[in-house]
Amino acid sequence: MSVERTLKQFEEDRKEAAQIAARMLLASAVTSPRVGGVGECTVHIIDDECDIEDLCQAVEEMSSENKAWEFFMRDAAMIRDADAVLVVTSLRSLTDPSDINCNLCGKLTCEYLRKEDKLPLEPGVAYTGPLCTFRAMNISYAVDGIATLARNLGIDYGVYWSAGAAAMRMGILPKATGFALAVAISVTEKSPFRDIPVKYGEINERTMNDRIIRRLWPQFRSIYS
Amino acid sequence: MAIREMDDMLQAGLDRAVEMMALAAQTSFKFGKRNTMKLIKITNEEIEQLAEYCFSLGDMSPLAARDGRFAADLIKEPAAVLLIGDKRQSLFNYNCGACGYRTCAELNKAEMVESLTSNGPSCIFRNINIHMAADAAAAMAWRLGLHCRVFSTLAFAAKALEIMPDVDIIVSIAVSAAKVDPFFDRHKFWTQDVWDQTFKKEFPTFTRGFIGAVEDEDW
Repeated sequence: MSVERTLKQFEEDRKEAAQIAARMLLASAVTSPRVGGVGECTVHIIDDECDIEDLCQAVEEMSSENKAWEFFMRDAAMIRDADAVLVVTSLRSLTDPSDINCNLCGKLTCEYLRKEDKLPLEPGVAYTGPLCTFRAMNISYAVDGIATLARNLGIDYGVYWSAGAAAMRMGILPKATGFALAVAISVTEKSPFRDIPVKYGEINERTMNDRIIRRLWPQFRSIYS
Repeated sequence: MAIREMDDMLQAGLDRAVEMMALAAQTSFKFGKRNTMKLIKITNEEIEQLAEYCFSLGDMSPLAARDGRFAADLIKEPAAVLLIGDKRQSLFNYNCGACGYRTCAELNKAEMVESLTSNGPSCIFRNINIHMAADAAAAMAWRLGLHCRVFSTLAFAAKALEIMPDVDIIVSIAVSAAKVDPFFDRHKFWTQDVWDQTFKKEFPTFTRGFIGAVEDEDW
């Protein structure tokens, strides 16, 4: 027997811990302060490995659209190592300014913001602004609600806007979503989200495994069997 | 054995707690690893100024007026307000489009529109950074057992009165060590009379007898 049953059990439990934690983090995100106490943010859990892979591929596709987005490759490599991803959305920032004339968007009044043309939804544009900044920043309380509890639970987390934008592109979020951010969580000995090597998008555990072990293994097996 | 008074301990505890909140805000997650926020604590004198200013906005913003009356009451017991502010321009080069400009360079070149509440257009990620700091401070206050509420009205008033120099966007977190939670009591100021008065003002046709009737009953 190559791998002990208990080690398999440990691996399963580790994943389950991440999934349970994701639900607790969702609760923390929902109950964090919200302007006006109105539910305008939603939180979506992606904890299936295949779904996370889909998301990562969408992030990688976006990477080539804009020169400033080259780091999306690195983000995708990090998110692949996550056990779950929570996507937080802002539902009212796109179409429904908050009517308090706060001028965060620079248009002086909400009426002027309504009349402003939005950016077209095309490659190279992640969010079709100008958004209502006062509404969009509401999301930060939900995201920090997740971060704060993750710290308390001792779970590694990383916050990515690339994955939020990619999830919007994939159409897996509510239709009215104007702005979205993603928080990836991981239950492992080493956080995959911090202190990472340069060129991590190209050179990471997965690509190295692919290049070295998987390429050599068939020959090795045929020779030594 | 020396006796220490309760009020003295509460005030000292509050001061220490606000310091801890500042620490939590400072070390909270920041996009782009750029922590450019400024943070100050204000106490009774300045809170009173904010309260008066907010109250003076009565006709324009009932919400600000309510928070003004609230802040005036808040300082009767040990309380403090943390202000977190930042500049508006983008430092990130994310080119995300959320501000309505295609690139961060365009946003930074755009003419600044000044107003009492905040100066725009501002980078959304900079806003998010200070609001995440605010949430971390609020979470710390919660853990330390303080009464806490995040106010945008008091923050806008602080911007108008220039209490915090050299910032474009501000958020405020009010904390209190009062006997009972002074926050989140909508019936305290918005009584039935106030509701009736507001309703009459906002929907004059509802209570008017017929078209052409005068609005003022006392006339």
